[in-house]
Amino acid sequence: MYPQQIHSYLHKFFNENNCQIVKNHDHYMTVQLTIEMDKKIMNRPYYWKYLENTNGVPNPAQLTFITDQNKLVENIKGEVVHFGSPRLNQLFRATKDLGAFVHMYEQVDHQPQNKAILTPWLGVNYKVSYYSDQTKEMLYSLGMNLITGHLVDGFQERLNNLNLESSMSEYAFDLTAIIKPLRALERLDLAIENNINADNHSWAEDAKKRWQKDREVLEHFYEGVEDKPECYEMEKRALDEQYESRITIEIVNGGLFYLKTLIN
Amino acid sequence: MLIEKSSTWKEGFIERLEEREPWDNWTLYNMSYDVVKTNLITDFTGLQSPKYLPNLTPLRHQLEVAETVIERMNGKAILADEVGLGKTIEAGLILKEYLIRGLVKKALILAPASLINQWIDELNNKFYIPAIPYKKNYNLDNYSVVVMSMDTAKKSPHKEVIYAQDYDMIIIDEAHKLKNHKTKNYEFVQSLKKKFCLLLTATPIQNDVFELFYLISLLKPGHLGSYETFQSSFSANKLTWEHDDYLKELVNQVMVRNRRQDTGIEWTQRRVQTIPIQFTKEEKEVYEMIEGLKNVSSVFSSAFSMITLQKEMCSSKEATYLTLNKMRQECVDSEEIDYVETLIQKLMALEVNTKAEKAYELISKANDKVIIFTEYRASQAYLQWYLGSKGITSVLFNGKFKKSKRDWMKQLFKEQAQVLIATESGGEGINLQFCHHVINYDLPWNPMKLEQRIGRVHRLGQEHDVHIYNLAIEGTIEDHILDLLHAKIDVFEKAVGNLDDILSTLKESM
Repeated sequence: MYPQQIHSYLHKFFNENNCQIVKNHDHYMTVQLTIEMDKKIMNRPYYWKYLENTNGVPNPAQLTFITDQNKLVENIKGEVVHFGSPRLNQLFRATKDLGAFVHMYEQVDHQPQNKAILTPWLGVNYKVSYYSDQTKEMLYSLGMNLITGHLVDGFQERLNNLNLESSMSEYAFDLTAIIKPLRALERLDLAIENNINADNHSWAEDAKKRWQKDREVLEHFYEGVEDKPECYEMEKRALDEQYESRITIEIVNGGLFYLKTLIN
Repeated sequence: MLIEKSSTWKEGFIERLEEREPWDNWTLYNMSYDVVKTNLITDFTGLQSPKYLPNLTPLRHQLEVAETVIERMNGKAILADEVGLGKTIEAGLILKEYLIRGLVKKALILAPASLINQWIDELNNKFYIPAIPYKKNYNLDNYSVVVMSMDTAKKSPHKEVIYAQDYDMIIIDEAHKLKNHKTKNYEFVQSLKKKFCLLLTATPIQNDVFELFYLISLLKPGHLGSYETFQSSFSANKLTWEHDDYLKELVNQVMVRNRRQDTGIEWTQRRVQTIPIQFTKEEKEVYEMIEGLKNVSSVFSSAFSMITLQKEMCSSKEATYLTLNKMRQECVDSEEIDYVETLIQKLMALEVNTKAEKAYELISKANDKVIIFTEYRASQAYLQWYLGSKGITSVLFNGKFKKSKRDWMKQLFKEQAQVLIATESGGEGINLQFCHHVINYDLPWNPMKLEQRIGRVHRLGQEHDVHIYNLAIEGTIEDHILDLLHAKIDVFEKAVGNLDDILSTLKESM
């Protein structure tokens, strides 16, 4: 992420969370946090507990973020935020928390005769991680039509050009789902697992070979030793942990979508 | 294959379906997806960490080390770059990479006490790794990256506390301190679980090849075979060699070492001179009387005390006097006492210290900042007095100084004094690139100590050629020390690789 991208990210994030942008310059900005946001990112639970117990006047923090220190000419004091900085990571996590579940309707212009029909979909974004002594991550976006059970890949990208709002327009009506959302979720989970099973797992084989090689070296060292010391077991355990291959599936976010546009 | 899934999202989803919780904001939903996409680690190989570290510009050789260690050595390695090439940066890059990739959650860094603050500072400010220095009452459960001294770590109750933690990565700085497998340090590290492990040392061999064997056996037991097979292959004589190519290859599988010249950076030259010095007639007489001591009294019969006195006499009468005076107390019969008394008289009557004069001559000729390393506190004090009498300002330095005092002394040296006089233990952890002259007033037994000394000055950021003067008095024990230094350098070069000049010019002249 370049400084400009970070700047617009912060701007968007605080704006969407109703925090007032007090000052907005090219390379820095000052933000007035709301009480909710202060509680979320300022890490001062005792202050808030104290305030609530004493009925004090809440004074949520005002923060200045410098997004491009190199271009900064003004004499400004503030937190430097860059890709990799703890603050940005924290805001990434907050974004994940605050944007995990949605319920959206495609907007419909005025219809002269019949109302437009909206089809319900479940959309879920999955992050799949492969771990051994190395890591690789993949992002899958799956969607399921809750009427037909039709499954599509790359769902998130298909939503990009649609006009979605959290409430339904008056010129539309939504079909009731035939497949229950939770049932659909199970089927999407299954689809991801099938996907993983069909993938090439030579990475795990390779890790196993590395593990075997190191294991042989270790056995060689203790060859002929009758009472193997405790550190032998320790080493063995360390090797197991180092090379053990495993896969994690994590849901980034997902939601229900009522769409007029056909997706196939 | 083990697949781990979490049901957290599903539970939250049910809450929304049943209208107990509100739905989220669409813009934040999209932002969240984009963040994950941006941060996705799409390949098993390659480094992610540099893009998270905009304020750090790692050098090419540092990035290569990080990649090699992770991809070829599977995260277990000895980082053995020459002094001053940034081993801490390399370790930081590797740790950061594993943290980003989620393979390391908890890490322990063991460093000499004097370097703890430097580690904390670099990890936090250069790598944004929230490392903390260990304090006695800390509960280690709460801290993911901890830096502590080996001396603390190996003792109870800290030792037990550490064993109870599940560290994914162990980093040990100045790992040559583990060369002796009979020490508590070694035993402690041996019993630590080492999933990913980095041992940092510029000097993996200080005296003999078995030190390397023990270091590697700590990291990867069996890599060089068992002790018996290793010993039989590499002969009983620790200083000779038969299978050096084979050994070097094995070593290179677990050790990365960059030399200054491999880094692609323009390094300034090292100009090493060994300066032979002749004692005056009076000094020589005293030196010979010292050698005669062992025939006169049993108090002086041990080789160790003999060597100490000989070395001290090559340094200063002040250093010699302290030891000699202490040993005189142990003499009983009058013949012994007479001999020692006469010796002390002659010693104290000496008016000239030829070596100090030579040092003064070199300092005047350099007409620039100079560091003098001596092995003795008494010589250190004497040199300050002597140089002062010649109008040369100096500051003293030793490793026992607290960090604030060290910084202060460094500042004084930089801004006011011409000479810094340091004892051996002052060697680690100070960087003095503004200085270009090093006088090794006394020679240590170990060439790596010389390398450490030179490394204070000849490191990244040095803009001038560096002059190194090794002073050695002819016809004394210092001849023997020089021979031994050469032999040890030879062992190092055969097992590990070439060394930058420490003594070489003398080698050619010999």
